Amino acid sequence: MATVTIRNVWKYYGETPAVKDLNITCPDGSFVSILGPSGCGKSSTMRMIAGLEHISSGDILFDDVRVNDLAPKDRDVAMVFENYALYPHKSVYENIANPLRLRDVKEATIKERVEGAAKLLEIGHLLGRRPHELSGGQKQRVAIGRAIVREPKLFLFDEPIAHLDAKLRAHMRGEIKHLQRTLGTTMVYVTHDQLEALSMADYIAVMHDGELQQWGTPSEIFNNPVNAWVAGFVGEPAMNFLTCGIKGEGDKVSLMHRNFEIPLLAGQVRQLNGAAQTGTARMGVRPDALSISMTKPDEAAMRGEIFVNELLGGDMLVEVALDDCRIRVKTTPEFAGKPGEACYLTVNRDKWHVFDAGDGHAYF
Amino acid sequence: MTDVSSLSGSTRDMGAQLFRARAHSVEVEARPRAEISHKPRNFNPPLPKHYYFYLMAPAIAILAFISLYPFFWLIIMSLQDVTIGGGEWVGLKNYTKLFTDARFLEGWVLLAKYSIMCLGLQVGLGVTLAVVVNSSRYEKYLVTALLMPMMMAPAVAGLLWLFLYNGTFGWYHWLLQSAGILDSASILAGSNTAMYAIVLVDVWQWTPLITIIALAGLKRVPRDQLEANMVDGASPLRNFFAIILPNLYPVLLIAVLLRFMDNFRFIDSLLVLTGGGPGSATKILPVYLFEVAFKFFKLGRGAAIALTLLLVTILLGKLLVRVFEKPQGGKG
Amino acid sequence: MASRDVVSYDTPLSRVLRILASLFLALYLVWTLLPFVVMFVSSFKDMLEAFKLPAVGDWAGITVFFEFTPTFKHYTSLFTENSFGTYILNSLIAAGGSALISVVFGSLAAYSLSRVDFKGKQDLFFWIISTRMAPVVAVMVPLYAIFRSLDLVGTLPGLILAYTTFNLPFAIWMLKGFFDNVPYAIEEAQMVDGATRFEAFRAILPLVAPGIGAFIVLCVLFAWNDFLFAAIIGSGGAKTLPVATRELVQPQNIQWGSIMAAGVVTTAPMMLLGLVIRKYLVAGLTMGAVKE
Repeated sequence: MATVTIRNVWKYYGETPAVKDLNITCPDGSFVSILGPSGCGKSSTMRMIAGLEHISSGDILFDDVRVNDLAPKDRDVAMVFENYALYPHKSVYENIANPLRLRDVKEATIKERVEGAAKLLEIGHLLGRRPHELSGGQKQRVAIGRAIVREPKLFLFDEPIAHLDAKLRAHMRGEIKHLQRTLGTTMVYVTHDQLEALSMADYIAVMHDGELQQWGTPSEIFNNPVNAWVAGFVGEPAMNFLTCGIKGEGDKVSLMHRNFEIPLLAGQVRQLNGAAQTGTARMGVRPDALSISMTKPDEAAMRGEIFVNELLGGDMLVEVALDDCRIRVKTTPEFAGKPGEACYLTVNRDKWHVFDAGDGHAYF
Repeated sequence: MTDVSSLSGSTRDMGAQLFRARAHSVEVEARPRAEISHKPRNFNPPLPKHYYFYLMAPAIAILAFISLYPFFWLIIMSLQDVTIGGGEWVGLKNYTKLFTDARFLEGWVLLAKYSIMCLGLQVGLGVTLAVVVNSSRYEKYLVTALLMPMMMAPAVAGLLWLFLYNGTFGWYHWLLQSAGILDSASILAGSNTAMYAIVLVDVWQWTPLITIIALAGLKRVPRDQLEANMVDGASPLRNFFAIILPNLYPVLLIAVLLRFMDNFRFIDSLLVLTGGGPGSATKILPVYLFEVAFKFFKLGRGAAIALTLLLVTILLGKLLVRVFEKPQGGKG
Repeated sequence: MASRDVVSYDTPLSRVLRILASLFLALYLVWTLLPFVVMFVSSFKDMLEAFKLPAVGDWAGITVFFEFTPTFKHYTSLFTENSFGTYILNSLIAAGGSALISVVFGSLAAYSLSRVDFKGKQDLFFWIISTRMAPVVAVMVPLYAIFRSLDLVGTLPGLILAYTTFNLPFAIWMLKGFFDNVPYAIEEAQMVDGATRFEAFRAILPLVAPGIGAFIVLCVLFAWNDFLFAAIIGSGGAKTLPVATRELVQPQNIQWGSIMAAGVVTTAPMMLLGLVIRKYLVAGLTMGAVKE
């Protein structure tokens, strides 16, 4: 087990920077997820931690030991690859035993450990098979088995469940989280799926364009995104954005749009502080921070027209045309509005966000 | 409010489908928290990949000795009058002579004629065969049978066909005579027919190569395109010309280029069958080169001819490599 | 799961086409396999029997082809009157030697080319492949001059080197494609699991071993079947099977029975080897353009 510190790390491929000045500290025993779209530098970061890529600049430390110049084999990490990277010519047993064999562990110990890992992952009955005889989910478990058999300092999981079907993915999320809690080993988990990160991690590092956007617990990331990009990337259905004007002075400031005007709460006026001068801002509201009704509830409600309804099992998602943009609202399946009818939206102002119209940073 | 509400119901649903993704991505764009402009200090250059070069070195060294070094020798030789004893500088004389050498020019013409006849027959037969084999239940066995001629040494194939073509006891000679195609003279003896004889041998040995390449191309014809075309009302024959053939084009190009270059490369069976004769009826350029260099041992002149041959092959090779690197499948 | 073939419906036209297709296939098979039958059967015939032909146009007379008493004398004469034993050995050493050199050094180079990127890689690659595509006669002109000055003409080492001119680039080209298909992640997984770089390379060898074996066989095949290099570079001390077979053709006395027997001796082993590596044969013959 180890604390992993990434200090001012850069990664260049030729002239192109893939990771820019990254600083992250993963506390001992924590589950850290690196979240971002493809090409954001998350995999490069993981590969630098594993020692599969050289670090262009900066340091990576395990506890207080600088590992920059250590070969992968000397870093005592275990990694699960996106495509599992199982050895096709070896049995499941031999695949899992591989890291132990490379360390000249005694045969009896190997047997005990492999069977222990297999039992934990419920693949005991597959030990004699070859990888090509396994389903995707089983291969994935074997790859995890290979990682946990050795009790390394650190787990590195590179999109391990990206290729599984949706149902299995949901199941494996729980399994992997439980496994990490049971073993108590520090885990770095790379994913592009915000749901995976939110549901599994203790801390999330959101990356974009090689830069760390935000570091925080899942609820911090979800509830207090630092900028519009993070707010838009995290959460499904995605956050609604609306460019608004800012009106007012002193204690009374409101956001203005063509057919509504919503005052800010008292505390929020302070958070917005000087930005009122710029005149515009971007409002961000998650679909579940909006409520919809067919009659006008109060003066601050936004008037729109129902564009389309989508029933998502227990919820209903209503898309509302508001002037030239569309807003998604989560409501109950009982909602009776039909496409084309007028409706009113009310914002839960405790849960809304205002971002700078220029660089996108969050005021609140 | 846009004019969405004025659209008819079904169009609006379709519009909703189209707009859904966009409406939500429009305003979500990259907004880095803070622009990081400075470059990192103490930048470590990537580690040298030297051990890969050590792994490559022996192969490169051998190749340099048997390909690069001879290539420079070839250039030097082409500027000399080389005989068994030694060499004497003659400048560009070997080259200037080529322009007045009727055999040299004829060699190119015959090479082109030979290649075009071989390829025309091979592609026609090969593709037909591929289509037939592809729809057969016994495909695996048929392909194995078709591979057989390619396992035979071309020189042995030449000898075998020399036997079959023989004017007094050759079975193919008898067959051609009985079918009324040929009179009593051997096909190899006639200066008009000898070319057909060697083309037939090349066709016998190498048509299967085109077939297996075309077969692979047929397997890659997108099934959905065929089915879409059929649902749209096309007959199988139309399917072949509208869908299958265009999809086959890229792989066929590879096949044709491969065979074309092999016609330059191999003259084994031709040397055995006719040796360029009768007269010089089948003296395609490589055969002429062989004669100049290894019968008359005019290695200097041979080198000049060889360089022209190499030049053309390298150009063809560039073309082939470009075709190889293109993603295959899709319309040509 | 959909069926493999696109459905077809029976129409009169399709029935006619099917019959025509079967006819074409049958004729083609006869034309492609008949020479083998003639070679094989004739190698067991006495001279006079081999020369027996029906009269022109006498189609029923084809049966004379099968009227003969089998004899092994052509085969025995290859080894008694000629030294085919030596020639087989020469062929084996020359083909095997060049195949081994090509695949051993070729796989190292191919592995590097597959795993590392550097400036000029494409040019290096083109040079390698154009070496393979160069016309044999053209290559032989300078090679002959060089080998003569090094006293390599007429020796097996000379022939081995000559065969390497086409086998080594072939091996590099094919094996690179082969290594490209082995995911690098497998080696990375090995390294993270505790292997050194070299151990990781060794770990994928079992994966590529069948392919490497097949490419050795293909290199043997190409070299074994060569005639030009053997005739010029190997002339004298390193006579191989195709050259020896060709020499049975003498102006006054063409020993057809022996030639056919020698043809069988030269061809049969390659056909068997071809069947053994059937899986890789098509890829090998098409320079990797087609993978079955």
